[in-house]
Amino acid sequence: MIVAKLIDTTLCIGCKACEVACQEWNDQEYTMGTFDGSYQTKPELEANFWNLIKFNEVEKDGATSWLMSKYQCMHCADAGCLAACPAPGAIVPLANGTIDFVHENCIGCGYCITGCPFDVPRLNATTKKAYKCTLCSDRTAVGLEPACIKTCPTNCLTFGERDELLRMAETRTGELKADGFADAGIYNPQGVGGTNVLYVLKHASEPEQYGLPKDPVIPWTVSLWKGPMKWMGTLMFWGTVLGAFFHFVIYGPQDPEKHGHPEEPSDKS
Amino acid sequence: MTNPNPEIRIPRFDAYERVMHWMAALSFFYATLTGLALWSPKLYWMATMMGGGYHIRGSHPWVGVGFAVVMGVMARRWANGMRLDADDRIWLTRMHKYATHDHAALPPSGRFNAGQKMLFWAQLATTLALFVSGFVLWFPEWMPRSLRLLSIAAHPLAAIGSITSILVHVYMGTAAVPHSMRAMLRGYVLPEWARFHHPKWYKAWRASHHV
Ligand code: HEM
Ligand code: SF4
Ligand code: SF4
Repeated sequence: MIVAKLIDTTLCIGCKACEVACQEWNDQEYTMGTFDGSYQTKPELEANFWNLIKFNEVEKDGATSWLMSKYQCMHCADAGCLAACPAPGAIVPLANGTIDFVHENCIGCGYCITGCPFDVPRLNATTKKAYKCTLCSDRTAVGLEPACIKTCPTNCLTFGERDELLRMAETRTGELKADGFADAGIYNPQGVGGTNVLYVLKHASEPEQYGLPKDPVIPWTVSLWKGPMKWMGTLMFWGTVLGAFFHFVIYGPQDPEKHGHPEEPSDKS
Repeated sequence: MTNPNPEIRIPRFDAYERVMHWMAALSFFYATLTGLALWSPKLYWMATMMGGGYHIRGSHPWVGVGFAVVMGVMARRWANGMRLDADDRIWLTRMHKYATHDHAALPPSGRFNAGQKMLFWAQLATTLALFVSGFVLWFPEWMPRSLRLLSIAAHPLAAIGSITSILVHVYMGTAAVPHSMRAMLRGYVLPEWARFHHPKWYKAWRASHHV
């Protein structure tokens, strides 16, 4: 069973209870930032801050409004972080669809940051390891819902079976459309095979307004590096090794006695 | 004299050049093994062999910088002598003759033949590419995403290029050209070797030593 998290952005009131719950459950120290004139807790995710409520201020129909969104790991079906990671067992796709980071096996190369189309993982400067939301794999394993879901006071967040949540999202989108939000829809980007974090958006044709990329895919340089380039490298390595070996077998070493040089300077000169 | 005196030792690489060369070779070897381990989970056993993934993530960039510095020293020492002359250009168009031991069809070489010169320039180019892209990959937290995306493909591409050219180089130095190893390990070659492989260089040496 694939589990997922549904975020109905229309119901988020920006209370940030989920941020606190995430910090608490994962026992993370809060690093003080500076106040930059926004209600948002921080401008960005951090190695010890995995769940950020974004207060996206946008001008819509002559009025300023907040398009709330929740920024964390999307638990992609086709995960770029996993494609990029060289260390076996550092990034583990669980049977329930969660992309889990296992820090004992992480070597801190940071490739997952570059591979992730959502720019989610962060390196901790002291431990030199990568961190991100685990979808509370330590809670879901024993049948509990993730900490953020547990704490949300408005039912903006729901956890459950993915197919079930998609049906709920459809229903909710229908309601919004009936209320006059013609552009309402679901964010479940297919470029990464769909995500296990789903959003209901009022303005689904412009996810950028929510800080969500429009058509996220694993970056092509990452795919090249982990795909065709590996074949090319293997081919060139064995081609050269075997080429050299058979060159030796066919032609043997260079031998002045046999392969004399006619233009060599005459000894009589 | 008519025949080269086999007793004579012709100095080819002084100690500075030999140490510099083997430092390049050793650091290259280390960076190759650890770098390949950082490429793919399938090659991760190399990381285990070299002290574990976490360790090599720390050491690979430092050794890479060391390699780049040695290559800089090598460039200062050899770049002048590595310029292609008119004979070299003809040599390059007849490389297949070299590979098939048809030496009669080749113009004479100086201290380095055109193939060696090309290896040198190829190594300098890939070293530069590896250094720049490697620096970006070293500090992912501080580097712009666009540069990281570029480097993550450029670094292994440059590595493939330099590793394959070094494979050819190692084959030449160990098996294909007998006694060249003596030049790089002990520093000298015998007249017959010099006359056959590097006639113009040999001629110049003879002229300056009046033999
Ligand atoms: C461990 C493997 C290596 C072996 C066995 C090896 C062997 C040799 C030998 C025998 C020579 C002397 C050729 C002559 O007398 O003309 C030489 C020269 C040279 N080596 Fe290496 N080498 C190795 C690795 C490297 C590496 C990693 C580099 C640079 C990245 C390098 C760069 C050069 C250059 C530029 C020269 C002078 C031109 C030439 O001979 O091609 N070598 N090497
Ligand atoms: S959002 Fe990024 S870190 Fe999360 S699973 Fe997808 S690629 Fe990996
Ligand atoms: S930082 Fe850790 S999790 Fe990320 S790619 Fe490197 S080894 Fe994998």
